[in-house]
Amino acid sequence: MTRVRVTAPRQSATAAPGRLPYPREVPEDSDAGRVFIRSLIRSQLRLALVVACGFLVILTVLALILVYGPGVAETRVLGIPLVWLVLGVGIYPVIGLSAWLYTRAAARNEARYRDLVEDK
Amino acid sequence: MNPAVGLFAFIAVSIATAVIGFYGLRISRTTGDFYVASRTVPPWWNASAIGGEYLSAASFLGVAGLILLSGTDALWFPIGYTAGYLMLLLFVAAPLRRSGAYTIPDFTEARLDSKLVRRVTSLVVVAVGWLYIVPQLHGAALTIRITTGLPSWVGSTAVVLVVCLTVVAGGMRSITFVQAFQYWLKLTALAVPVVFVLLVLAGNGTQPQAALPVNPTSQAAAGAYQHISLLVALLFGTLGLPHVLVRFYTNPDGQSARRTTLIVLGLLSVFYLFPTVSGALGRMFAPELAQSGQADALVLLLPGKLVGGTAGDLLSALVVAGAFAAFLSTTSGLVVSLSGVISQDLFGGSVRGFRLAAVLAAVVPLGFAFMTDTLALAGSVGLVFAFTASTICPVLLLGIWWRGLTDAGAIAGMLTGALLCGGAMVVGTLMGPANAPAWLAQPAAWSVPAAFAVTVAVSMVTKNRVPASVNRVMSRLHVPERPVVTER
Repeated sequence: MTRVRVTAPRQSATAAPGRLPYPREVPEDSDAGRVFIRSLIRSQLRLALVVACGFLVILTVLALILVYGPGVAETRVLGIPLVWLVLGVGIYPVIGLSAWLYTRAAARNEARYRDLVEDK
Repeated sequence: MNPAVGLFAFIAVSIATAVIGFYGLRISRTTGDFYVASRTVPPWWNASAIGGEYLSAASFLGVAGLILLSGTDALWFPIGYTAGYLMLLLFVAAPLRRSGAYTIPDFTEARLDSKLVRRVTSLVVVAVGWLYIVPQLHGAALTIRITTGLPSWVGSTAVVLVVCLTVVAGGMRSITFVQAFQYWLKLTALAVPVVFVLLVLAGNGTQPQAALPVNPTSQAAAGAYQHISLLVALLFGTLGLPHVLVRFYTNPDGQSARRTTLIVLGLLSVFYLFPTVSGALGRMFAPELAQSGQADALVLLLPGKLVGGTAGDLLSALVVAGAFAAFLSTTSGLVVSLSGVISQDLFGGSVRGFRLAAVLAAVVPLGFAFMTDTLALAGSVGLVFAFTASTICPVLLLGIWWRGLTDAGAIAGMLTGALLCGGAMVVGTLMGPANAPAWLAQPAAWSVPAAFAVTVAVSMVTKNRVPASVNRVMSRLHVPERPVVTER
């Protein structure tokens, strides 16, 4: 049986050389394909929302501790006020870590989708 | 400061920019090259370029100035600027790259299958770009005035000239090289003087004139509303910035778009350490700059004031060079993406049209810059983020993640956001920064939810207008590209 790759006409862009512009092994007009794609989108959205909410919760809790925590305003580490250390330095690793975890998990979601499609 | 120092630094940066630009010219030939560097730029280059483009006058001068004025309240600005990229990574980076569109109007048109949506998006994008270029030109005017004593207009005009020349000559390919170079220049230009100043201060045991937590002027502390509104603006504004988005199209695929964003986050985190330290040093050793209304020039004046002599002059030259790198890179990034939009809608997308559009994109904000006055740089850029978050962000986010979005909903949402946020900006400016209430000065906390609500509500009412192509487009956005397949 010959396999046919169905590609949509691209609107305005040209493909980078040597790459397939779009994956079309599961055309979205088949029922199975639609289900797979929907579940991929849903899992990616859930992942993004979880990471975003987690980050915002950490940020809020930190801000509340810095404002209302007893004695926090006077605390100094190596002569630098704790508030400055946390807001000026400490938050950035949290941002980086969230981003790194997300990137890994998102790639894993995509790999799982690929496996599903290839098993079919 | 020695006027020759500032002038020399500016000319050196302009020449370096032009040389890299012309070097790039030899590589860019086709229309595709001009727009998005043919999508073959490696992630590290690309990430440096994104960082270089993103770190504007607001980051280079404004953040330190604002920290000098308002201390820990201002530390939320760099946090928001960086975390905005986290949101971009989570919700936009990979799908947008996979959409295959060059500009945001391309994306909305393809997603909603409507020419009218494209027109409205183009208008909003051009407005955002112009609003964003103006503070860059203000920064250039301020830098030239303070460092050389020349009139303000020289600075802004010079930046527009250099940008027009590089963009017209080289397009995006050379811009990518220029931007990457400028990230590293900016980082060096802030980091080296800060380290030197710290060493000198530690060496001669200078006593601070003021305590770190005390505001040098009688600036009131920001309330919870201002913090929340600022964070909403910065977190959701970043993912709609036209010059940031176009940068993602130079990644070969969705996964590398994510990798690039991850590197960008690292680069930004490292960069923002230095304005923060500069601002803190300013509060302790140069509080009089805040009292004399020169807070935004803190980064420029600090080395001359605290180090002095030839070393001080050399460090000042480095900072001025970095500052101009900031104005040039952000302005040229914006001009490239605006001219992409303008030329496709007005001139049919030819290379000649792109060049014409580039001149148009740069000259109009120059007029605005002449007519308006320098506000606090970080603050005025914050307002642009609020405007972007209220207009482009809802359409982009809902377009990527929600099948129910319709053209009517998108247009209604963008117009609502533009009217509410733009109206608040105009009224707030007319009332003056001292008299405007917090909810007018920082509209994002209510204008962004309102824009989202209107977009969703109108889309639900006009359900029958969901485009027939929605399934095809959604899978194009989210399905991972395959690795190169040779035998099929």
